[in-house]
Order: sequence, then C-alpha cells, then structure tokens
Amino acid sequence: MKKIRLIPRLDIKGPKLIKGIHLEGLRVMGDPQEFARRYYEQGADELLYVDVVASLYGRNSLHDIIERAARDVFVPLTVTGGIRSVEDVRKILRAGADKIGINTAATKRPELIREVARKFGSQCMVLSIEAKRIGDGRWEAYTDNGREKTGLDVVEWAQRGVELGAGEILLTSVDREGTREGFDTELLSAVSSVVPVPVIASGGMGRPEDAEKAVRQGSADAVAMADILHYGRSTVGEIRAAAKAAGLNLRTV
Amino acid sequence: MKKRDVITQYNLPTEVRFCKLCTVSNQRPRITFDENGVCSACNFANYKRTKINWEERERELVELCNRFRKGNGEYDVIVPCSGGKDGSFVAHQLKFKYGMNPLAVTWAPLKATEIGRRNLDAFIQSGFDNVLGTPNGQITRKLTRLSTQHLGDPFQPFIYGQTNYPMHMAVKHNVQLIMYGENGEVEYGGDMKNAFRPTREIKDHDKHYFSGLPPEFWVEHGVSQADLKPFMAPSYESIMENKTEIHFLGYYKFWDPQENFYYCREHTGFQPNTERSEGTYSKYASLDDRIDGYHYYLGYIKFGIGRTTSDAAHEIRDGKITREEGQALVRRYDGEFPQRYYQEFLDYCGITDEEFQAVVDSWRSDHLWRKTSEGWELKHAVWNDNGESQG
Ligand SMILES: [Zn+2]
Repeated sequence: MKKIRLIPRLDIKGPKLIKGIHLEGLRVMGDPQEFARRYYEQGADELLYVDVVASLYGRNSLHDIIERAARDVFVPLTVTGGIRSVEDVRKILRAGADKIGINTAATKRPELIREVARKFGSQCMVLSIEAKRIGDGRWEAYTDNGREKTGLDVVEWAQRGVELGAGEILLTSVDREGTREGFDTELLSAVSSVVPVPVIASGGMGRPEDAEKAVRQGSADAVAMADILHYGRSTVGEIRAAAKAAGLNLRTV
Repeated sequence: MKKRDVITQYNLPTEVRFCKLCTVSNQRPRITFDENGVCSACNFANYKRTKINWEERERELVELCNRFRKGNGEYDVIVPCSGGKDGSFVAHQLKFKYGMNPLAVTWAPLKATEIGRRNLDAFIQSGFDNVLGTPNGQITRKLTRLSTQHLGDPFQPFIYGQTNYPMHMAVKHNVQLIMYGENGEVEYGGDMKNAFRPTREIKDHDKHYFSGLPPEFWVEHGVSQADLKPFMAPSYESIMENKTEIHFLGYYKFWDPQENFYYCREHTGFQPNTERSEGTYSKYASLDDRIDGYHYYLGYIKFGIGRTTSDAAHEIRDGKITREEGQALVRRYDGEFPQRYYQEFLDYCGITDEEFQAVVDSWRSDHLWRKTSEGWELKHAVWNDNGESQG
C-alpha cells in the first residue's frame, strides 16, 4: 500500500504567510518561517510553498524564504508560483527547494515541462493545476491563483503534463479552496485514475477526516492543508493519528 | 451623440494627478488632495488608524443602541443590506453583539446574480428578518435605459431605491435608527464634512447619491409620477416626524472590508465568487448585480477611475497591498470591458451595441483620453506615476 504524505501548504505574499478563500481576500497570518518550523516539528512529511501573487505581479520572491526554511526544516520543500524558465528553476533549487511546481508558465508554453524534467528530473517537476468545476465531471484549468481561464480541460491537461515529464501533480480545487467543505474527491479521482504519477489533493481540508476521504474516494497520494493548520484547528500530529486510525498507511513519526 | 462636458458636470480638475500613496486620482468627484499630494481618503485612513480612540467610539455605539433599543419586540434598527459582506456584518454585529432587533432591508438588484441571491438567502437563514423591495420591472428597465443614455450610468434607478427604501421602511415600521456600514464619502474620498460625525444629513442625498438628479427628473422623459413613486424618498415631513437618524457603523467601529468578509464567512454563510469580477481582481465585493460591470466601466470612461483603481486604493489604505502592487493590478484589469453579461445588459436596457458605444464615447473627455491607431488610451495612467511629488 502506498504511503500517504501530509503536506502543510504555505501561501506566501511578499514576506508574509497569508490565507485566502477561493484564493482571495488574502489575510496576513504571520511569518512563514515560524509556521514552517512548527509544522516540521509536528511531523509534516513535506512543505509546499506557493507564491500566490507571483504571476499577478510578474515577480518571484520566494528565494529568501526558502533559504531560511532550508536551514532548519529538514523535509522536502516544493516551491511554486511565478516560475517561468529553466533558469528560475535552477535558482530556486539552489536556494534549497527540492521540487518546483509550475502552473501559469506551463499553460502558456507546455514545452517548459519537458525542459525542466530533462534538466532536473521528473521527480523535481510538479505540475500545479488550479481546477474550477465547469459542469458535471468537467473542470477547467485556471491560472493566476484562480483568476484566469485557460480553456484547458483539467483531466486532459494533467495527462499531457505527465507525457511531457511532470512527475507529480498538485491539484487545487478553486471551488473548495479555503471553504473547509472537504476536498473535491470527484476531481481527485478523475485525475488520479488517468495519470501514473502521484496526485496531491489541495483545497478544502476542513476536518481531519477529509484526509481519509481524499485518499479513499479520490485516490490522492498526498494531502495539502492550510486553513485547518494555520488557524490552529488541528495539528499535523492529530491529522496523522486520525488517518492512521482510519487505516491509511502513513510514515511513522 | 453630443459630447459631454465631464469637467463642468462633475467639477473636475483639468490637470490629472494621482495620490502619492494610493492609486486614485483627483478625477474622483469631490475628492481633495492635500499640499503633499495625498488624497483625503488616505488621510482619513491614517487618521482612523492613529487618532481615533476606538474603545471610546464603541462606548458611543453602546449608548446609541441603548437610546434606540425598544425591548418590546418591535424592530429598533433598520440595516440596509444586500446579503453582501458589509451590510451582513453590520446586521450581525448589531443583533448578536449589541442585542438590537434589526430589520434588514434589501432593494432588489436590477438583474440579480445567482451568487448574490444565494448570499442573501444564507444571510436570512443565519437569523434575520428581511424585507425585499422589488420595483416594477418594466419601469426599472426603462429607467435603467434612460439613466444609461442621459447620465452615463445604468445604476441610477438602483441607487434611488437603495437610498430611499430603507427610509420608507423606517417610517413604516416606526424605527428611528438606520445603520449603514461605511460612509463612502469619507472612506473612498469625498465630502469630508462627514468624517467627524456619525450621521448623514438627509438633505445631502440628492447631491451625493443622485448626481443632482432626483427620481422626479424622469417625468420629463415620459415616466409618470406614479411609476416613479417607489424610487422616491418618503416625504421630508414624515422622515422628520419619525425622528429618523442615519448612522454609520464605520464611525463607531474600525471598518475593514476584508475582515468583514471573513466575519460573514463564519457567521452569515457568505461565500465569495469563485471567479473574479470583470474589471477588477476581487471576488468578494459587489457581487449582486449583473449590471454592476457597466456602472464601473462608465466610471472608468468618465473619470479614468475603474473598479480596480478603487478596489486597489482601498486595499492600499487598509495595508493589504502596496502601491506598486496596486499599480500592477490597475494596469492589468482596470480597463477590461465587462463582456460576460453584455448581451443581457443590452437586451435588458433595450439598446444596441452601437447605441451603448455612442454613450461611452460621448463621455470620453479630451483631458483624459486620446485616440491612437490601437484605439482609445488614457493620457495619464497610475502605473506610470512614480508617486514623487509633481509640484
Ligand atoms: Zn490616496
């Protein structure tokens, strides 16, 4: 049985950790380093950093935050937001990231996925997809933190991304993001059933039980969580215990 | 269509200047700039953060509530509320924190959105009595067309009702207190005489909200007195006799629209849109009406100030974004044409695309716009403004 990973998601704007709803109304939560250290100590398997305004403002400002994190957080770090070129990838890996996620730039130039995978390996290349439901069993990929349509069908885009070399998919439901209503398990299963690579569920985690649903109903390989942790409604440890009690296979801390 | 004289009609400065701290320009009607080039709204935002004793203000609020509290089962405050984040916040605070018995009053949108209706329903479900005033659809459409053609703003009939209907309900239900959220004139830049007091003078209504044109104006254009009645204020005597007072919660409590959004998510079932509104980047403000976009777009044409400029200016003042971020947002979204409901809007008004475009062009003032081979372009844009003093 595959091992499920628990991944705190840190949305970043400028120097601050923020949290929105549907990726909007960005509320400042504090210093990302403090949150990162706390989640590391609680036993997070990995950390996910998202520069949520990178595309919007055409900038890329996670280097310093990642450098700091890499010094005292010893789990894999994935960084996404505003990465537009192989050179951007090189810089962020050098700062201490282990994997990079690409969304906007990949929808504009899918070849970038192949270039990154060739240069740094597929295990490093995470395709980030923001999915918005547009009908029964259909989702459209969005960019710019759920602001802009691409016209791409999420399931087809995920398959194409994997063909081009993506080694993992970060799948965020724009509709559920920040709502605490649970993951869109239909979306998860639609994607995870057609791609051979791991899928990270993101958007909607409200209660510890939601992690189990993402895995059992959505076949997710990893669960990203933000609101539930940032507001202290639960801890990584509690979520791990709940998932284990439900019979999921997780790393033992 | 005859060219409008925007400068005279709105008393605009002929030389465009941008506030050094936010994204707004001196083209916003009634805004003032100080000697350092900072707008009145930014100065107020600073004043609000540094000078006001909010504990003292909250005590004033409690006194106010006590003065109007009835305790006999009757409504003691009217809260104008669309189900959006601001009105819902006001109603919920008054009822559940200050123990008032509010009646929430809604004036129907011209053409409601699904998300707007859903949020109003959720608000009512969260524990409120609500009256919804819905005027004659044919007359509303006719007024929307007329005000688009004559004022360059489809929102005028909605604004009449939104402003006047709560006063009708106050008189009808014998309620003396009407509580609004923020005072837009103060928070967004306008007549500052209201900055230092909690109330609004009813005689200011025509000037600030009706562009000097009360509902009666439209008799000239073939709308009967009877048809205009629902849009009109109750008689001045009945308002006075009722001892109606209009207050702003923003005077008594620190006003932060983004925090209102979070509050309403927790307490009144409010949900933001999953898509951003056209002409801006935001997803949780002003969601109720499909006609919205045309109101903001025409504001962009008239004053060079679109929805993004206003949203960004406010978020800069609230410390949510920097001026530089605001400039990037304005550059990206401010001039976006609201395409999503365009055909619906035209059908609703009963005008053609050409007629609407003629209205738009009639409001393009030479001091703001120039025509290039690419199309119309603003002569002065905030994203080119470095915030240095130009004096
Ligand atoms: Zn300003």
